[in-house]
Amino acid sequence: MIRFENLSLRYEAGRDILAQVNLDIPAGAFRFLTGPSGAGKTSLLKLIFLAHAPSGGRVEIMGHDTGQIGRKQRALLRRQIGVVFQDFRLIDHLSIFDNVTLPLRIAGEKPETWHDNALELLNWVGLGNHLDAHPATLSGGEKQRAAIARAVITRPQIIIADEPTGNVDPQMGERLVRLLVELNKMGTTIVVATHDRHLWENFAFPRLHLEDGHIHQMEADA
Amino acid sequence: MSRQKPPQLLPPQSLAGPALSAVTMVMCFLAGLALGCALLADRAADRWLARATSAMSVQIVETARLSVDDQLPAVMRELQATPGLGEINLLSRNDLVALLEPWLGTGNIGEDMPLPVLIEITAAPGAKIPAKALDAQLRAVAPGARLDTHGQWRETLQSTARALTLFAALVLTMVTLATATVILFATRAGLLANVEILNVLHQIGAQDGYISRRFEAHFMRTTARAALAGTVLALLFFYALGALVPEARQGDFLIHLAPVPLAALFLSWQVTRRYVLRQLKAQL
Repeated sequence: MIRFENLSLRYEAGRDILAQVNLDIPAGAFRFLTGPSGAGKTSLLKLIFLAHAPSGGRVEIMGHDTGQIGRKQRALLRRQIGVVFQDFRLIDHLSIFDNVTLPLRIAGEKPETWHDNALELLNWVGLGNHLDAHPATLSGGEKQRAAIARAVITRPQIIIADEPTGNVDPQMGERLVRLLVELNKMGTTIVVATHDRHLWENFAFPRLHLEDGHIHQMEADA
Repeated sequence: MSRQKPPQLLPPQSLAGPALSAVTMVMCFLAGLALGCALLADRAADRWLARATSAMSVQIVETARLSVDDQLPAVMRELQATPGLGEINLLSRNDLVALLEPWLGTGNIGEDMPLPVLIEITAAPGAKIPAKALDAQLRAVAPGARLDTHGQWRETLQSTARALTLFAALVLTMVTLATATVILFATRAGLLANVEILNVLHQIGAQDGYISRRFEAHFMRTTARAALAGTVLALLFFYALGALVPEARQGDFLIHLAPVPLAALFLSWQVTRRYVLRQLKAQL
C-alpha cells in the first residue's frame, strides 16, 4: 500500500531529513509515527500524501510510483488519500458542511447522490448541529472532527493524520483516535504522527520511530 | 438554507473587484471609441473616394497651333463615344469664374482673360472610367486636352484613411495590452491571497483545471459587467455624436461595437486561465 525504497529527502542544500529509508506499510494497517520534534515526521507524511517529492529513491503509493505519474493521475491518487492536518486547514469562509463535502464536489459527485450520507457522517463525528457554522466559531476538537470528516468522506484507502490530538484535550484526543480505529476496522490504512506517548501506549498498534533520518519499526506497546 | 448549491471557493473580497471593473470599463469605452471613430472615418473616406473615382474633369488649353475652340468638338465627340460615361458637363465661363474667384478675387477676372475649357465627366452607375486609355485617346484627338483624375487629392485622402485605421489599431492594441496586464496582476494577487485555499484544494484532489475555472469564473463575471458598461457608454457617445454625424446613430454602424465586450471576455478568460495553469504547474 505504502512503500519507500532507499528513500532520501533533503531541503535544498541542507542535511538529509530522511536517509536511505525503506518502509512497507501493508493495506489495512494502522501505524503510529513517532520521533522527536524536527525528526522529519511531517516531511515523511508529505511524501505519502504527495505534497513532497523525494530527493532520491522511490515512493510507491497504492501500486503507483509517484515519481512516474502525471499531474492528472497525481490529483486522482490524492483523492484516495485523506489527510488530517495538525492545523485543520479548514476553509474559513465556508460552512462546516461545505468544508466537509468539498472533496465530493471536487470529485464531481452530484449532491443528490451524497447529501444524506454526508449528513450521516457529520452526525457520526458529532457535528450534526454545526452544519452551517463556520470554522472560526468552533472549538479545537470540533474543528479536528470536521477535518477528520473531510478526510474520510470520499472513503479513501489511506488516511494520514499529522498530530491529530495536538490541539485538543486528552479525552477528545482519545475519542478522535477511536474514530480512526473504527475507520481502520473498515479496511482503511491509517498513519498517525504523534508526540503523545499515551496514544501509542493505549492503542495496540505498531510504531514507526523516526530519528536521525532513519526509521525504526517497533511492535505495539500495549 | 440550501446545501446543494456549490459554495464559492474563493472569497470575493480576496479577489480584485471595483478597481479591475473600473479599469476594464474605461478600456472597453476607449476601445469602442477607437473602433467606432476609425469605422466612421473609413466609411466617409470610402464614400469620398468613390465619388472622386467616378468624377473626373477634362481640361483643354490652347496649343501653339490649335485654339481651345478648335479642339473642343473633337474632345466632345471622343467623350460621347467612350463607353461607361454617364454625365458630360461642359462648364460655362460663369462656372469657371465662380471656381476661380476664391483664388483670384472677386471682379479680378476680366472678359479678356483667357480661360481653359473644363468638362466634368461622371462614370455611369456601376461603371469605371478607364482613365489612362481615355487620357491617351483625348490627347490623340486634341493635343491640348488633359484628363484630371484628382489623383493627388485621392492619394492624400487614402493615406489619411490609412493613418486613421492604423491609429485605431494602435489604440486597440494598447488598450488590449493594458487590459491584459491589469487582469494578469489581479489574477496574480488573487492567487497569492488564496494560496492556503489552493493548497487545500490540491491536497484533496482538485485538478489544475478545476482550480483555474474558479478564477476564470470570477474574472469573467467581473469583466463581463465592466465591459458591458464601457460599451454602453461608447454607444451613448456615438448616439450623441449622431446629432453631427447621422450615420453614428444607425444600427448597422452601432452593431460593429458588439465585439468589444466579447473580445474583453475572451481576453479575460485566456489571460486568467493561462496564468493560473502556468503557476499551478510550477507546484508539485
